[in-house]
Amino acid sequence: MDFLGNCPQYIANGLANGCIYILVAMGFNIVFNSTGIINFAQGEFCMFGGLLAYTLAASLGLPLPLAIPLALASTAIIGAAMERLLVYPLRRAGALVAIIATIGASIFFKSLGRVLWPKEAYKVPEFTAGNISLPGATVSRQFLWVFGLTILSVTAVYLFFNHTKAGKAMRACSVNRFAASLVGINVMRMSLYSFVLAAALGGLAGLINAPYASYSMGLFLGVKGFTSAVVGGLGNTFGAVTGGIVLGLLEELIPGFLTVVLGVSTGYKDAVAAILLIAVLLLRPQGILGRGVVEKV
Amino acid sequence: MLEVKGLSAFYGNIEALRAVDLWARAGRITTIIGANGAGKTTLLRAISGLVPVRYGEVRYVGQNITNLEPHRIVKMGISHVPEGRQVFSSMRVEDNLLLGAYLRSRRRSGGEIKKDLQMVYDVFPVLEERKDQMAGTLSGGEQQMLAIGRALMSKPRLLLLDEPSMGLAPLVIRDIFACLKRLHDEGLTLLLVEQDAQIALSVSDYGYVMRAGKMRMEGEARELLGREEIKSLYLGEEAVEGEEGGHGDKI
Ligand SMILES: Nc1ncnc2c1ncn2[C@@H]1O[C@H](COP(=O)(O)OP(=O)(O)O)[C@@H](O)[C@H]1O
Ligand SMILES: [Mg+2]
Repeated sequence: MDFLGNCPQYIANGLANGCIYILVAMGFNIVFNSTGIINFAQGEFCMFGGLLAYTLAASLGLPLPLAIPLALASTAIIGAAMERLLVYPLRRAGALVAIIATIGASIFFKSLGRVLWPKEAYKVPEFTAGNISLPGATVSRQFLWVFGLTILSVTAVYLFFNHTKAGKAMRACSVNRFAASLVGINVMRMSLYSFVLAAALGGLAGLINAPYASYSMGLFLGVKGFTSAVVGGLGNTFGAVTGGIVLGLLEELIPGFLTVVLGVSTGYKDAVAAILLIAVLLLRPQGILGRGVVEKV
Repeated sequence: MLEVKGLSAFYGNIEALRAVDLWARAGRITTIIGANGAGKTTLLRAISGLVPVRYGEVRYVGQNITNLEPHRIVKMGISHVPEGRQVFSSMRVEDNLLLGAYLRSRRRSGGEIKKDLQMVYDVFPVLEERKDQMAGTLSGGEQQMLAIGRALMSKPRLLLLDEPSMGLAPLVIRDIFACLKRLHDEGLTLLLVEQDAQIALSVSDYGYVMRAGKMRMEGEARELLGREEIKSLYLGEEAVEGEEGGHGDKI
């Protein structure tokens, strides 16, 4: 097989993974924007989304149109609980303390997931089973859902932050928290909302990332989502899109090239994220779409 | 309208305000003057709920508002134009102004909000010209106007202003103070903090002089302007630095 002939398949797979990364990256961004902290438990929101969807749909047998919203709502509640029980009490302790606390939360969530869902993998039902043949590539029908729901989420998030009062208030918190409280915005309320939104987006990523979910998936998706967010420009919605797509594509194309053209083994897929992250941090620390200098007053 | 009694506030163990008393009467312009580091900003922040009050109390139209959350204080009708303007620099000018009306329901008072927006544009026409620009691209004077306009959008009865003249050219300062005078004539009560004693006292009714976290003097503004010690201490940069050399070197 030649590399170019495989490219359509690489691109299709890369876009599918990239969409998942976009959703996770937007979760990182939203929390970062309204609180100034990096939530290292973002990946565990994905885990809850996937495993709750499994439990509700596969074990309890709820129909998908009911199980999916329920799984998302439960994940959002977990996000809210995390904010109220952990982030809110630490609001005067500074960002670094809160960030370390989110690492603790991530470990706690993962352990909880391992207790509740001990198997290595659970099969999350696909929305629609089967494959589609495209010229040069075969994709699962689930891919269309992933693609559509990601476009929908990105659009919704964009409209929310730019055209609604609550969204603009959350943006105001990210631009200048002090001034936001001066105009009467309840800054900690916005922090709560951001965790709810980020958890729902993470949950969505986890449950459409079919076919398998496990207690350990949070680390993997968290790292990929974080990389995408940083690569695109932390805090920037279109940055998340750019970063997710770039990472998703490179993760397919680079190992594909190495295997097919150079005959090197393909064990390097996950190293792509690390290399990309380091390269961006060294060459363009504000990210691809980042605004150059971080504004501060 | 606003009464501050025995107010003390700390940064860690440093006492930034020591038993401060202040009375800002309704319909008046009250000014606090004092050199850099005197505690003026801390006092305004304590009133707005942005700095915790350790001892003493803040009363506003008869109610105790000490240590209420900032958004509750805004809701009660106190609006704060902060030191250094603090506009939302990467947001549009008009969005900055509308965020000032954040606590007002658009459903219930959408029409009024529009009217107030127009009122702000009438007072500061340059903001209307630049309403789609990012606030960070405005000049210093325009940003000051934006900060005042944003504060007005919450429909306050009491406006707190922290050094509106800071870093501005004399002509711009004159413009801004003319606007403040106009707002006052329309019924707004102002509590103004300034290092520039001359311009502040000349528009004010009553004045306080603050130094090292304490109120040192007070009186009718015109009378304060005439006092020799004010002239020598606060009317002129060199005098200020000479006086405050011991503890005024902190920012
Ligand atoms: N965030 C802070 N942390 C510690 N000390 C502060 C802080 N802000 C102000 N101070 C100190 O409190 C005193 C009063 O400051 P401030 O209220 O800003 O004075 P002014 O507005 O009159 O210049 C100063 O000595 C200053 O160094
Ligand atoms: Mg000050």
